[in-house]
Amino acid sequence: MRLVPVPDVTTQDAISVADVSHVYVRSDEGVVQTLNAVSLNVRKGELLCLIGPSGCGKSTLLNIVGGLVSPTAGEVRVHGHPVRGPAPKEIAYVFQENTLFPWNTILDNIKVALEFQGVPAAERQDRAKQAIEAVGLSEFANSYPHQLSGGMKQRASLARALSLQTDILLMDEPFAALDEQTRTYLGEELSVLLAATNKTIVLVTHSLSEAVFLADRVVVMTARPAEIKATISIKAPHPREPNFTTSPEFSDLRNEIYALLRDEIEKTVGGFVGRAAARDRERRAVAGERRPKS
Amino acid sequence: MKPRRFDWHARAIRVGFVLALLLFWYYLGRSGAVSAIFLPQLPRVAEKFVQILQSASFYNNLAVTLFELIVAVAIASLFGLTIGYLVGRSRYAVLVFEPLLAGIFAVPIIVFLPVFMLFFGIDIESKIAFGATYAFFPIVLNTIGGISQVDPRFITVSRSMGANEQQLFRRVLLPAALPVIVTGLRIGATIGFLAILGSEMIAGLRGLGSRVANLAEGMNTAEMFAYIVFVIILAGMLNLTLSTMQSRFAGPRSAS
Amino acid sequence: MSDAVISGARIEAEAGARAFLHRNPAVARLGLVVLALALWELAGHTVLDPNFLSPPSAIVAAMPRVLGDPGVRSALVATFVELVTAFVLAVALGLAIGLVVGLSGFARRATLPLVLLLYSIPQVTILPLFVLYFGICAGSKIAFGVSHGIFPIILNVVAGVQSVEQAHLTAARSMGASRLLTIRRVVIPHTMPSLFTGLRLAMSATLLGVLLAELYVSTGGVGYYTRIFADSFDPPATFTLVAVLALMAVVLNEAVRIAERRASFWRTHR
Repeated sequence: MRLVPVPDVTTQDAISVADVSHVYVRSDEGVVQTLNAVSLNVRKGELLCLIGPSGCGKSTLLNIVGGLVSPTAGEVRVHGHPVRGPAPKEIAYVFQENTLFPWNTILDNIKVALEFQGVPAAERQDRAKQAIEAVGLSEFANSYPHQLSGGMKQRASLARALSLQTDILLMDEPFAALDEQTRTYLGEELSVLLAATNKTIVLVTHSLSEAVFLADRVVVMTARPAEIKATISIKAPHPREPNFTTSPEFSDLRNEIYALLRDEIEKTVGGFVGRAAARDRERRAVAGERRPKS
Repeated sequence: MKPRRFDWHARAIRVGFVLALLLFWYYLGRSGAVSAIFLPQLPRVAEKFVQILQSASFYNNLAVTLFELIVAVAIASLFGLTIGYLVGRSRYAVLVFEPLLAGIFAVPIIVFLPVFMLFFGIDIESKIAFGATYAFFPIVLNTIGGISQVDPRFITVSRSMGANEQQLFRRVLLPAALPVIVTGLRIGATIGFLAILGSEMIAGLRGLGSRVANLAEGMNTAEMFAYIVFVIILAGMLNLTLSTMQSRFAGPRSAS
Repeated sequence: MSDAVISGARIEAEAGARAFLHRNPAVARLGLVVLALALWELAGHTVLDPNFLSPPSAIVAAMPRVLGDPGVRSALVATFVELVTAFVLAVALGLAIGLVVGLSGFARRATLPLVLLLYSIPQVTILPLFVLYFGICAGSKIAFGVSHGIFPIILNVVAGVQSVEQAHLTAARSMGASRLLTIRRVVIPHTMPSLFTGLRLAMSATLLGVLLAELYVSTGGVGYYTRIFADSFDPPATFTLVAVLALMAVVLNEAVRIAERRASFWRTHR
């Protein structure tokens, strides 16, 4: 009896990114390569974090996965199908800055989103209400975005994304514009949400704490042109308790990721500290040579 | 608190000024220091004012001018909004067309009035065409600006949720650009009105402007003054109407 | 592999007339203008009635004839002189009034509502009054132009004076400057940017005023000739007149824009 080899894990993958590169042309910079042969798979139900120095291309990768940008080379598949454009029934987005429409109430914002997705009019009201309740904003359903605080606006954006009932959620630094307290709190809520539903989430972030707290796996990316430097697994199950952040495991992971990132950050920021330190060392070495040994 | 106080204060000053002016006019007339041809006496003008409000020819002229205005603004809006939308949706088209349109508008279009007269004659068609042309520019420029400057993130997020072009227009572009577009419509209506009056005055057969010009030519200054006062009031009413419509459609923050 | 990708993108980006047009919208614009002129020329020989409209070639051909007429030339020159005079007067008077109104809180509260009231009157309605009072010569046209151009200047200067930061005024006073000196050294320099911004609006307004008046008065100046040419069904002459006036407007607008840029080159965004 011949053993049929088990097919690759692709059926377990919600998203598969194969050899994706991205290049664009800018009039002042010439040709810029943002991504270089990036490959990764996102399993169903996992929360994957993309972390890397500023401007490295993590958002571009997210946009490619979401079908908003075409890769210059390589292919992305979602649930096994190649991505050719936005897939509103399968992928929902949460962006960093508030993208709620200021001329609609929160409730209407969500109803419009459902309308875009193609949900029949009769269902929209209920689904919108459910999503608002799920994030605890029922009181503010008829308020306008400008009447809400930053944290509430992001929760509303999350509600909008959730109302679309997609399997996949792509989040591009969703909490970056918020203060640390709100950020931490929303992070905890997201962890609870993850445990409750079975969504696949890809989250781009700058924050090490956020990555370690939320992610099942953290993908560390290099500076531009971005490649995958390392992938780190985090075994703790969701929902993660707030005290997870004080555990030794947490610090170790955080340090590990920072160590990986540091070189990339230096490359991006220009290594001011590194260069100054190197100059210092050099100067001291020269001075040391000239000084008579005493 | 401060703006409200200033408003009451300002209104008092304006009313006071107008009253003082009217008093001054009255006494100047009474004193006979100025010839009645240059400055007809106030009671005479008031009398004429009442008279014209009862005359058929006045209402005919009013109707003609208003008709010209409405048709001109309608045409200008149709072209301005459509072209503005089409151009505004394409970044390249904006780069090509916007400076062109802004450049043409920088030349005072009054200069082309003789050409309009040449082509359309001196009756209402030329006034409508001229008024429509004048009003077209602020409408199209504001529409281009409004549509092209909608925050691209709104468009991105809508696309990601599956919006097609029609939904994008109704639910995103239109509400986002509405304040700017409405401002453009308001400016268009205002200068369209001025353009029509001006062209009626320069060479016209019917309409309020033509009547004023005729009266001026005939040295019929009392009646001319009465008409001028009426036209100023009409302009004020038009401004008020536009201002109300603007705040209704574009939010209370935008009107003045 | 990535090198091939990069070079491929570079090649694609630079090739093609389409890409060239994409990077140079000004060229595309010029092309459109040329196309429009060409269509006009074509229409002129086929569709248009020569009694009412003429193609560009006929206009150019008519120019020597029209501009050769000394009467036409003097009318155009007079118009240009009126424009410049009205503008200069509007700016000078506007600056003076603006400073007086802006510097005194009382004057401002008392007169600004009146300025705005006058500004809101459609001046075209009182054009006949200007002609009545100033006559049909240059005076009425200059006056009408000034009356249009003065408002943007006043409003901008008042705004500029009001925006002088209190800190600067206090600093000047603490250094012992008299009121006059403070005005000369602090207020006026701070007001200049606002003044220059208002210049462009003032030029547009002055152009409107003077040209309206010129066209209205049909017994002399440009208005006379537009009437003559229209009555005698001489479209090329009308177009020539209009073209020269439009050119005047463009030149004056450009002059103001250059002056504005020269005066503001030192001003980084505050």
